[in-house]
Amino acid sequence: MSRASRGLAALVACATLTACGSGGFPADPNDTKERIRSSKQLRAGVSPNPPYVEVSSPDADPVGSEPELITRYAATLGAEVEWTVGSEEALIKDLEEGKLDIVAAGITSKSPWKSKAALTRPYIEDKDDKGKTESHVLAVPPGENALLTDLERWLDTHGGGQP
Amino acid sequence: MSKEVNFGATSLPAEQRQALGKAKRLEWITIAYMATCVAVVFSVMGSSQAMKAAWIEDMLGFVPSIAFLAAVREAGKPPSPEHPYGRHRAVASGHLAAAVALLIMGVFLIVDSGMGLVKGEHPPIGTMHLFGHTVWAGWVMIAAMFYTGIGPVILGRLKMPLAEKLHDRVLFADADMQKADWMTAGGTVAGIIGIGLGLWWADAAVAIAIALSIVRDGWSNVKFAARSLMDGRARTYDSEHTHPLVAQVHETLVHQPWVADARVRVRDQGHLFHVDAFVRPRDGVVPAHRVEEAAEAVRDLDWKVADVSITPLLQLPDTHDVPDARADQQ
Repeated sequence: MSRASRGLAALVACATLTACGSGGFPADPNDTKERIRSSKQLRAGVSPNPPYVEVSSPDADPVGSEPELITRYAATLGAEVEWTVGSEEALIKDLEEGKLDIVAAGITSKSPWKSKAALTRPYIEDKDDKGKTESHVLAVPPGENALLTDLERWLDTHGGGQP
Repeated sequence: MSKEVNFGATSLPAEQRQALGKAKRLEWITIAYMATCVAVVFSVMGSSQAMKAAWIEDMLGFVPSIAFLAAVREAGKPPSPEHPYGRHRAVASGHLAAAVALLIMGVFLIVDSGMGLVKGEHPPIGTMHLFGHTVWAGWVMIAAMFYTGIGPVILGRLKMPLAEKLHDRVLFADADMQKADWMTAGGTVAGIIGIGLGLWWADAAVAIAIALSIVRDGWSNVKFAARSLMDGRARTYDSEHTHPLVAQVHETLVHQPWVADARVRVRDQGHLFHVDAFVRPRDGVVPAHRVEEAAEAVRDLDWKVADVSITPLLQLPDTHDVPDARADQQ
């Protein structure tokens, strides 16, 4: 057996052991999903983009289809939502730095943020002003794959549209 | 009787003719197979760096196949007034093109993945729909890697003996890279499992390892292709040893009764060797038909030796040593 193949075998064996040991697969490098569950708090960032996200006053909780989805998803993890309102850019930066768990701003799958954040599979399709089809997505921290896959699976049945 | 097949002016022996036909078929199969691999990997690669590396390696898999088919097509044309040596250099040119492509892509991948690693980019891999089920996309990528990993290993093993029979370096480089392809596939699988375990760096680390192996392949191929274009002494198909024919040509010449001493230059034009020989006749004179006989004896050594020129001289050039028939072989 060559050195490369021995190394590979060791890695696969190690992977299998860890996977069996810790339960979650795929896992979050920063344990975001587990933290939401244990702290019972989901930190969501929203940026106004009617009808997906509407913010009436700084003190009131945001409304619209996406805040509603997030509230319902948080409930599946036994968590309450803590809202942050800001610009998309500021929110995505917080997401990257692990200060937020999810961002909703009527983002589409064509968003330039896809290199900074992990975008979900489209959960609903819509037409934009020019009648072109847009696929809407939510954003989670990049590489937090347990949260990403869990959210995507949930959106499949509760997202309200054909992806 | 099957149709005559040529490399330049040389008609191929039956064994080489069959090997050439088989090699061409295998390269067409490779191109068709790689096209499916490229499509499959592209459709599932998502944001995995290792998958991207594997995809680019698959794309590069076309280069040697196309280079081989183009080179044998060119090399098959007979010599003409414009191409008096035939077009055998097509092989080395194709080899160089394939090697440079490998080298550049390897360097690009190292930079690309290295940047990802330094910036701490965490690759997201979510779910996808497959036959009505929602599955983690990582599993689909792993399945794709099995598909793309198996074919090249089989094709590479089938091509290797043909590369030796045809003395074709492009085919050798192709077979050699394909034989090692399972490591790319295996490494990518390990990287994806790593992501699944929350080891975000595993993927980029594997991609860099793949890229390093691409660079190594590229570099050694550039070296040997350039050596061939620089008229290096003929080496075996795998470039490992001085070709035994170099010594055999020398022996054949010095065993001619009229030859006192000889020096030979043998260069690999691609498939075929070009022999330049200098001989010192015993009495200082030699009839032309003796020279012709000697050339015939050299040509009879092997189908690869087709182009032989013998120059009788009183003083042999001392620039090229007499090759030691035993040195640098096995």
